[in-house]
Amino acid sequence: MKKVLRYSLLLSALALAMVSCQKDDTDMAAILAEYQVEPASVELDFTELTEAPDVPVTDENDSAFNDYEENSPWNKVINIAFDGENATVSGSVPGVAIQSDGAHLTILNLSGPVKFVVSGKTTNGSLKFYGDKRFQILLNGAEITNPHGAAINNQGSKSLYVVLADGTVNRLQDGTSYVMVDEEDQKAALFSEGQIIFSGHGELSVIAVGRGGIRSDDYVRIRPGVKIYVNSSALDGLRANDGIIVDGGVVNIETTGAGAKGVRSGGVMTVNGGRMIAVSAGDTRVGLDDDGLTDTTACAALYCDTLLTVKGGVLKFKATGDGGKGLNSKWDAQFQGGTFIAVATGTRMVKKPKGVKLDGSLYISGGYFYSYSKRSDPVETGGTMHVATGYTTYSLGPKVVTIAF
Amino acid sequence: MNVDFGTEFRSRNNFRTADRVSLGASISYKVLPWLKASGGYDLLIDNNHEKITYQDDGVSYNNWRPSYWGVRHRFNVTLTGSYKVQRVELSLRERWQYTYRPSKLIDNFDFDEGEWEDHEVRGKGKNVLRSRLQLDWDIPKCKFDPFASVEFHTTDILEKTRFITGVKHTVKKIHSFKLYYRYQNVNRNGDDDEPNIHLVGLGYTYKF
Repeated sequence: MKKVLRYSLLLSALALAMVSCQKDDTDMAAILAEYQVEPASVELDFTELTEAPDVPVTDENDSAFNDYEENSPWNKVINIAFDGENATVSGSVPGVAIQSDGAHLTILNLSGPVKFVVSGKTTNGSLKFYGDKRFQILLNGAEITNPHGAAINNQGSKSLYVVLADGTVNRLQDGTSYVMVDEEDQKAALFSEGQIIFSGHGELSVIAVGRGGIRSDDYVRIRPGVKIYVNSSALDGLRANDGIIVDGGVVNIETTGAGAKGVRSGGVMTVNGGRMIAVSAGDTRVGLDDDGLTDTTACAALYCDTLLTVKGGVLKFKATGDGGKGLNSKWDAQFQGGTFIAVATGTRMVKKPKGVKLDGSLYISGGYFYSYSKRSDPVETGGTMHVATGYTTYSLGPKVVTIAF
Repeated sequence: MNVDFGTEFRSRNNFRTADRVSLGASISYKVLPWLKASGGYDLLIDNNHEKITYQDDGVSYNNWRPSYWGVRHRFNVTLTGSYKVQRVELSLRERWQYTYRPSKLIDNFDFDEGEWEDHEVRGKGKNVLRSRLQLDWDIPKCKFDPFASVEFHTTDILEKTRFITGVKHTVKKIHSFKLYYRYQNVNRNGDDDEPNIHLVGLGYTYKF
């Protein structure tokens, strides 16, 4: 009997050990899968884009009427051909005065709409415009590098039409240090106090090593057909104080400066078409504010001070630096169509990287919306998130938010 | 002088999960009729609990370290004084215990990074003074002898208190069975990673 008892006890202990082989961990498989997701690819894309015909506005009462160079007479033409350290100017227009210092040209335009056809190459030249008259720069295979400042600097406050001649490849580059003139701004390799409207079917590359790539203290409109590439290792890639309108075109932007933005709109930004891709690789900029306190500024592939409205087109934004945001907006953002992809893959040492960060609310009623953050929230809104009915995909994960109509 | 060998198996999660397997040996010597000295070594093989940490919001995951098996080496030196009043024996056991945990690389899932990474559990040693006061009652003509004890585990603070009560059954002075209930109150979670717990234990001792 005692033997039976003894063996029973031993067998019981053995059986207990054998059945105690189950793990008591939380079942994390599904949760881990949500966190291990890879982001959507956001890479610069220079391939051709098939776009709908760019039909100029013909109604004079339309606020966009003046943005179409087709609506201005361009019978006054001046040709500028760069050749190394020199520039040859041909054509004469009453009311236009041109001073040259080697290949650095200073142009005073008091004549009204004048077309400047620019071609040739210089590694030490620039174009600087004065006069509050709208004018056109037709870039016809131009390559301008200014080691001491902006390649093109418009001090006038009226429209600057930058037309990229069909099939041409154009290049603008600034210098690492700018020689400044009192009471004059010079904020980018292509700078204008007035609005800049890009059109044509050519290519423009802007290389910024001292300041920003393209900057307007007014607004920027980009029309279908253009191909713009900006590489800025200093400040923002494309920036406009009063807003950005993208009707079309292929825009690729890379920035690597600390705190730099790929695209920054100080006013309302509206996207109607085209393909815009911006990749910001800089880390958070850490400095001191006016009061001597630590001030941090994170990078963003797209930064909006006010409303962003996306009605069409393909937009892809990626921030890879510490605390970088795909989209950072101080206001609301509305997505009514098109494809929008925002990706943040940076570290979170100084700031939190987020796919989309809005101080306002997020409205999604059409198109495809995707936001990814590797190390923080994919979407953060200071307001609320509104998604219209009729969506086909609605997925709010810890790393990815996807909403599709 | 006595030489003892022992093994222990602990389970958790209602017997479904192994918690610890240990193997040990000790040697004891009766210094005085009422005083025994002993020293021992135990190899502890622990199934360490999973650990989940959260972000500042208290909801979002931060890290997940799944449960893992680890080894510890435990040495002890013990003095036990006992005093018998009729059939009740009162004993006080003072045990210095040193436990060393070697370093080990384990898996850790970092939710911020969204990926697995190696995490090093650093090796460290720990000294504990265990003080146990026990009452054993030898009931005449009864095959089951009840006992009760309270034990304090002290480091720089009182880390753990164990309250135990049970019965002992000895057959021919060779086989000894023990069935007990233990309540453990943990003030500070140490290396054992043990919570406050109620448990039922079954012990068997064979005397050569």
